[in-house]
Amino acid sequence: MVKVYTLLLFFILNLHSTELVVVGDKNFPETNLTHSEIRAIFLDKKRFIKNEKILVMNHKVNHPLRLCFEKNILEKTERSLERYWRKAYYQGKRPPKIVSSLKMLFLYLNSVHPAIGYSDFNSTLHQEVVILYRVECGF
Amino acid sequence: MYKKIYYIVLMSTSLLFSNENSGYGWDVPNSSLNIGGYLDITYDEKREDKFLFNDIAMLFSASENRFDLLGEVELSHISLDGKSNNSSDIDLNLERLQLSYALSDEQTLQIGRFNSDIGYWNQSPIPILQETTTTPHIVGNFFPKATTGVLFRQNINEENSFSLTLQENKDIGHQDNSIEINRHWGMAYYGTKEDFSWRFSTGRYKERNELRVDYMGIGLEYDGELLSLQSELFTQQSDTTEDKPYSGYVQSTWHFKENHDAVVRFESYRDNVNEIKEQIYLLGYVYRPNSNMALKSEYIYHSKLPLNRLVYSLSVLF
Repeated sequence: MVKVYTLLLFFILNLHSTELVVVGDKNFPETNLTHSEIRAIFLDKKRFIKNEKILVMNHKVNHPLRLCFEKNILEKTERSLERYWRKAYYQGKRPPKIVSSLKMLFLYLNSVHPAIGYSDFNSTLHQEVVILYRVECGF
Repeated sequence: MYKKIYYIVLMSTSLLFSNENSGYGWDVPNSSLNIGGYLDITYDEKREDKFLFNDIAMLFSASENRFDLLGEVELSHISLDGKSNNSSDIDLNLERLQLSYALSDEQTLQIGRFNSDIGYWNQSPIPILQETTTTPHIVGNFFPKATTGVLFRQNINEENSFSLTLQENKDIGHQDNSIEINRHWGMAYYGTKEDFSWRFSTGRYKERNELRVDYMGIGLEYDGELLSLQSELFTQQSDTTEDKPYSGYVQSTWHFKENHDAVVRFESYRDNVNEIKEQIYLLGYVYRPNSNMALKSEYIYHSKLPLNRLVYSLSVLF
């Protein structure tokens, strides 16, 4: 258990200087998205882009990248997001699909169009993806 | 006997559905269908049946390309002796059945029976989604809770949208302590900026007794890390001189500890139909052991009506 916490701590500390990038599949209809467009997409308020339905992907709860994304892009606390999705579920909205790893994220990005997710910048270096937005992770 | 077994099974299974946030309901394999539900059990010391299963409801939704289907079927007010709304027959109500079609990236057309797009409270009118078990006076008194008709929504941008509602027919469900209508038109605007949002709604409806009524309301919400505020103010005018000049509330929720909230609500209204002008004060406490369950207690004080009381509830979303 201690090892897990040490690794998690190491990963979080490492993320301190990590650049988080929002990525789309290589044919994503836009090459740039605004902060509020990304928020709307990940909160299921915007579901189509250029008349095509977007596959939206998120990481697991407590994943360091997700913590960074929720703080810097969604700008919502865990309680606020919990409240948001409770109400959203009642209104028929659905949260993004959860991917279990970055490998799985890129697998979907390679096979589904249009698809969007997020990763650390270094992991995208050898992937065929479009970077749509960048943000520094500040913890 | 069967009903009791049904409740126990439903309650036990509902507690198993506490996944990560928003993981509500059950996704039917190889389909886009999701089935879930909610239940509320309340204890109200002023009610004839003090202990009630207020709502036991099933929610279902499905999405296919540009189409979205959403339904809500509810069994309400079931007392311990198994009666539903004081009748031994099961009173099943179709709360919502709506089909939406995305006309474009920004426009949606919706038909069916849906919660009227008016105000904040009416968008999430069930106890698990609210901080209190009791509802403000505006709910059920100033506008029709549900509309059976057509709704057109236009997203101006990511932060602003408006909607137009039209009903020119009878309701396909039955209203629950609310206004029964056969005609309704309405428009609403909704805007957000960071932790703030605001709403404006106006419209006209015709009741089954032919009375025509105009309503208008504004709302403001702030959702901060430590404190949330919600406020709404409505006014109503009818063909007769018996108007409801105003009804408004301010509700503050203090998130004082993880999973623990304190709630204060102040309401004031004037109702010329029933010749009442009074203030209502509410003090409440909410404990949410996990995201899909809430335990609430609240004390409500009315300045005129003899409705001062304690209310407790357990609500689950599954």
